[in-house]
Amino acid sequence: MAFKWRKWNNILHRDIGYLAVGLTIIYAISGIAVNHIDQWNPNYVISQETIKIHIPENAKTGRIIDETTRQLNIEVPVESSFRPEPGRIRIFYTNQYTVDLNTKSGIGTIERVKERFLLYDFNFLHLNYAKKLWTYAADVYAVALLFLAVSGLFVLKGRKGFKGRGKWLTAIGIILPVIFLIIYK
Amino acid sequence: MLNISKWLIIITVVFSATSLLAEEDGKVYGKGVTLEDTTQISDILATPDDYVGQRLMVKGRIVDVCKKRGCWMELAGDQEFQTLRIKVKDGEIVFPLQSRGKLALAEGVFEKIELSMEQTLQRMKHHAEEHGETFNAEEVKEPMTYYQLRGLGAVIFE
Repeated sequence: MAFKWRKWNNILHRDIGYLAVGLTIIYAISGIAVNHIDQWNPNYVISQETIKIHIPENAKTGRIIDETTRQLNIEVPVESSFRPEPGRIRIFYTNQYTVDLNTKSGIGTIERVKERFLLYDFNFLHLNYAKKLWTYAADVYAVALLFLAVSGLFVLKGRKGFKGRGKWLTAIGIILPVIFLIIYK
Repeated sequence: MLNISKWLIIITVVFSATSLLAEEDGKVYGKGVTLEDTTQISDILATPDDYVGQRLMVKGRIVDVCKKRGCWMELAGDQEFQTLRIKVKDGEIVFPLQSRGKLALAEGVFEKIELSMEQTLQRMKHHAEEHGETFNAEEVKEPMTYYQLRGLGAVIFE
């Protein structure tokens, strides 16, 4: 009995395709997000607000931190603080807020950092922040994509298959990036 | 025989437990740290040229992180008003922005960067944009030289 290669090609294309759906969606969304990194921050929503704290005269670092925390009604713990230059203090609150304050005028900013919902995690996977085992998982996914691309060429026979319109569409898909390469490189 | 949903639950639990165990002693970035001794940031900044080209490990609080790419972080020195920048290759290590304020160990090669006038202007413009400050190119009179640790690995403690 002859080996039915097209049947197996289509079965593998279908099932590997199902497996690749999740990660393809994640990579595609993240790809768009990081493609525009010059225009926005794809990982975090950072909000900044000007603040004015009343700081008692000659207050030491501990007192400045206490007053700032109290006056801003911040309920998360203080992680640490830092003096970047005389007359300035930066107070770090666990995972969320950073206060930058002029200790003489009491004027400063409070910055709140929040991971973008889902997008941070999508970028985490797509840009391989994790490294370690995920590197190999992503390699397997890349090989799967390669297989899907090639096997996809042979799913259909006839006029709508590769030998029909498929070869022209495939050629356009290859020529397009080449044109951009010629123009921009 | 276990069905697919049970397998998924088992895999999720095993992965979560493994990652919790791994993070007990701080989260490792890049190649982690391998040297046994730390060098004080104040010592390095006192005579930076003496350390150029050397592999060093430094310790300090993270006081700033690259907001978009996580490609650098600044560690506070052991003395007031001192910081040292740890710069890593884009994408090779990504420092999370939420790590500001946390304690970290970083290892890398200390380097001196001498910029041209054009590079200086670009760098200062980028810095101003990142910090929401105004930038006036006419105020820049001479090219910049700075020092940094070319980071190879780090450990950030919770």
